[in-house]
Amino acid sequence: MDSSSFLPVLVSFRLLLAFIPLHSISGLQHDHQLSSPLTSYARLKEGLWLYGHDIDPYAGGIFRHSPLFLSIFSTVLPPLPIVWALSDIVGAWALLRIWRARQRVGKGSSGRDGLVAAVSLLNPYLFLPSLALSTSTFENTAVLLALMFASEGKPSGALLALAFSTHLSISTFLLLLPVLMLLVTSPVSQLASPQEFRGDLRTACKYAGQFAMYWLVLFGAASVMIGGEWGWLRETWGASLTLPDLTPNPGLWWYFFTEMFDHFRPFFLMVFSVHLAIYVLPICIKFQHDALYASFLLVGILGSFKAYLTLADPGLFLSMFVLFPEVYPYLRHPIVTTLVHIHAALLLPLFHALWVTEGRGNANFYFAASLVMGAAGGMGMVDACFAGLRIAFGDVAEGERDKWAVVQE
Amino acid sequence: MAKTIVTSALVLSLFVVSATPTKLSEGYHEDLAIRPLTDGKVITAFTFTTLLGGASPRDPRDSETSAQHYTFFPLTLGQILREYAVTELHLSLNAGKWNYDGWGYPDHPSVGTGAELWAWMADGGPLSVDERWIGLRNALAGLFCASIGSLDDRRTSSPASAFPLSSIPVHHDSIPYALRYATLPSEHVCTENLTPFLKLLPCKSRAGLARLLDPQHVFDADWHGLGVHVRSTEPGVELRLTVQAVLDPVRRSGGRRRDWSFLSLFNRRIDVPCPVANSSTVHLVVPAVRGYALSPEPVSSNDTVSVYSPTSHVPLDVAMSWPEEFTFNYPLPPPAPQTPLSIKRTLYGSSQTRGVLSVSLSNNGHVPITVGYLETLPALVTLWMHTLKVVVEGTPRVDLMSDIIYHPPLLLANGHHGPSTLQATLTIPPKRTLGLTLDLGKTFLRYTEHPPDAMRGWDLPPAVLFPVPVPIRSQGGRSIPERMYTPTLLLDLPTPDFSMPYNVIILSCTLITLIFGSIFNLLTRKWMVVKLED
Repeated sequence: MDSSSFLPVLVSFRLLLAFIPLHSISGLQHDHQLSSPLTSYARLKEGLWLYGHDIDPYAGGIFRHSPLFLSIFSTVLPPLPIVWALSDIVGAWALLRIWRARQRVGKGSSGRDGLVAAVSLLNPYLFLPSLALSTSTFENTAVLLALMFASEGKPSGALLALAFSTHLSISTFLLLLPVLMLLVTSPVSQLASPQEFRGDLRTACKYAGQFAMYWLVLFGAASVMIGGEWGWLRETWGASLTLPDLTPNPGLWWYFFTEMFDHFRPFFLMVFSVHLAIYVLPICIKFQHDALYASFLLVGILGSFKAYLTLADPGLFLSMFVLFPEVYPYLRHPIVTTLVHIHAALLLPLFHALWVTEGRGNANFYFAASLVMGAAGGMGMVDACFAGLRIAFGDVAEGERDKWAVVQE
Repeated sequence: MAKTIVTSALVLSLFVVSATPTKLSEGYHEDLAIRPLTDGKVITAFTFTTLLGGASPRDPRDSETSAQHYTFFPLTLGQILREYAVTELHLSLNAGKWNYDGWGYPDHPSVGTGAELWAWMADGGPLSVDERWIGLRNALAGLFCASIGSLDDRRTSSPASAFPLSSIPVHHDSIPYALRYATLPSEHVCTENLTPFLKLLPCKSRAGLARLLDPQHVFDADWHGLGVHVRSTEPGVELRLTVQAVLDPVRRSGGRRRDWSFLSLFNRRIDVPCPVANSSTVHLVVPAVRGYALSPEPVSSNDTVSVYSPTSHVPLDVAMSWPEEFTFNYPLPPPAPQTPLSIKRTLYGSSQTRGVLSVSLSNNGHVPITVGYLETLPALVTLWMHTLKVVVEGTPRVDLMSDIIYHPPLLLANGHHGPSTLQATLTIPPKRTLGLTLDLGKTFLRYTEHPPDAMRGWDLPPAVLFPVPVPIRSQGGRSIPERMYTPTLLLDLPTPDFSMPYNVIILSCTLITLIFGSIFNLLTRKWMVVKLED
């Protein structure tokens, strides 16, 4: 069945939701699961108000969005829900093009277009933050666009999109290496037949230089935009490194650093930041034959261990699972992972409401729910990693199933 | 012969040297204003004024330390003022909520709850204004046994329109003056503060009007407050020490009678007059309705005020009684508001993450009132300025608010955030209520930033309504005669679990390590195909 006929239905459904002024939807804007201090819509509006009244938005820890958002939303686009709906649709279209590039379909449509688009548009982890007007939608779209251009072999587009996404969220730097690898190799699945990295290193270095140039241009544009002050560096990118705002979120950082004594804070901030960075090289080396899978795993790392986590980050990881149907038979515990994710997704808003709205629970309840979320993300990551490696060994022949086993020592 | 000449020259030079400092003429005046109200309460306001004629605040660039010799002016306070080169100082320690509707304007306008300290200092010299502010706070904290030292940069702002300089600038070349203002609404005032306060008076509490200040009765009042005000005026430096108290004889008598006397209010009489006071008076604002009896006979009286003088009539025990009244009945309907502007400030919302600050100003008069509104809130709350709304009877009226000045909470050098300051000019139409609403976000503090009684919450300082020049377009409008303070608010912040630091660290680290270990095992271990034994 050709599911690409569902595409117009999905697109129109998403656009329709942008125009319905449901009160329950506007109540989502303040939910701490769906937006963090780095992505919240209320802070975006506040920053635009301050900017419009000639007050430095980065003076007081209120506005933590990138100056690029400030410039776009104060001049070109008004911050309306339709912009988020369009960004969602562009992200789904990018995922679709990555899928087609991986399946070597070219200009035609594969049989599963509608499914891929539905996984992106209807995934509640991506859909609800988009309704809550969290700017993580734009960050995810930028990442998907970077991967899309890289899969189709268009270096300028990929590097520009990656530079944008790094500007919007500094932790996306982790994806630089896999995107460079993807540009010099092919997105087609090589998981079942791993081989050495055959890409051209010199071209990759050239692309790295191009990325640095795009990044510096955007950096200069942001500095010019904000009037030559450097407070925005401390407030936007510095926030991921120093964690000044301890608003609860589904991640693992906030309660850890709430309860931390000041003496140990800098050390553990360094540990948590380095922890994110140490996954890049091992994953890229081990999956050098399939750079798209390496970027998928790094998106999963970010989706569990980022500083200001929202549900949109594991949401991107779960949506990208749809690109790799070849690993499904080798996943060891997909049902358990799904159930733990559902468990976490139900507990997080419940315990948050019990703690801050009703005053009946306390912070430990929400912390426990965030640990469950971390466990769910970790289980998905570990399973994807195992399956991506296990697929290379193939299945044991029919008659010999109970005589041989593929293990790691 | 030469020795006597040298000795006499030395003695003469000593005379010359000692005669060089200008002779300061000092005056001391005491006053007690009593105002009984229709609901039975009695407002008492003690004012002790010491004038140091011919003196002026120290120029901060001037580092000469001349000896200070005072007769009536307190040396401890004089040393503090001179050390930090303070031109104007206002400290008030109050407890209770001043009810403007029922009690009218106070005799001394600084009636905000808690500790409020503001000082104008000339900017110059080796120390910066902020360094002198820190020293001033700590010195006053030591002098008055109050935690004024905790009015640090997280609570200090500089709202010059609301607290203008009322001293005359005395330094010859015009150096700029800077204001530092800070409040601590959770500060209490008690005997510990009254005792050093009374030590600043020439007669202490042994003679004069200060005899009446019995701590047990003053601090039992519905509202009580101490004030220290130093200004530089034309004749010299003026120190005004004030004690205000709203006492309730009806409550003390069990709800029956509103008769009062010094003995019933303060358990004391003025038995010894202060011999060094230039003037010592007791003003009694008599009620408009007759039916009361006053004893003893006043020195002078007219329709509104009766004056007593403790120097002539000793021991003095002013007593007012209502002999015709069998039992006191609270006047119904309740009397009309005593001030043209009624103010109310509330914090709505039951969530611990967000709230709505709602200020409602009611104009009881017939002409529009234009006031300045100042809100200094610590960085515990985030003001969402884009949600600021002004509503009169359900319709939004953006035109009634002008000159909005907003300072977001600045990140200071020591990592703290300063307070958010919001200042606006509001015009309230006659016989209408203006409602101002603003969304607030509440911050999540670190473990170490919570106070020991974290579940109580934090006090938010009162908002200040101050007089502003009336704009021309407001026909016949006026402003309020003096500053008004709204009540303080209690802010409920979410708290972490204080017993959990170790547990949180080990649980989070365990989870991260499990995932890290699993992934690295997968990536680094060798794969093998193993034959299973039967």
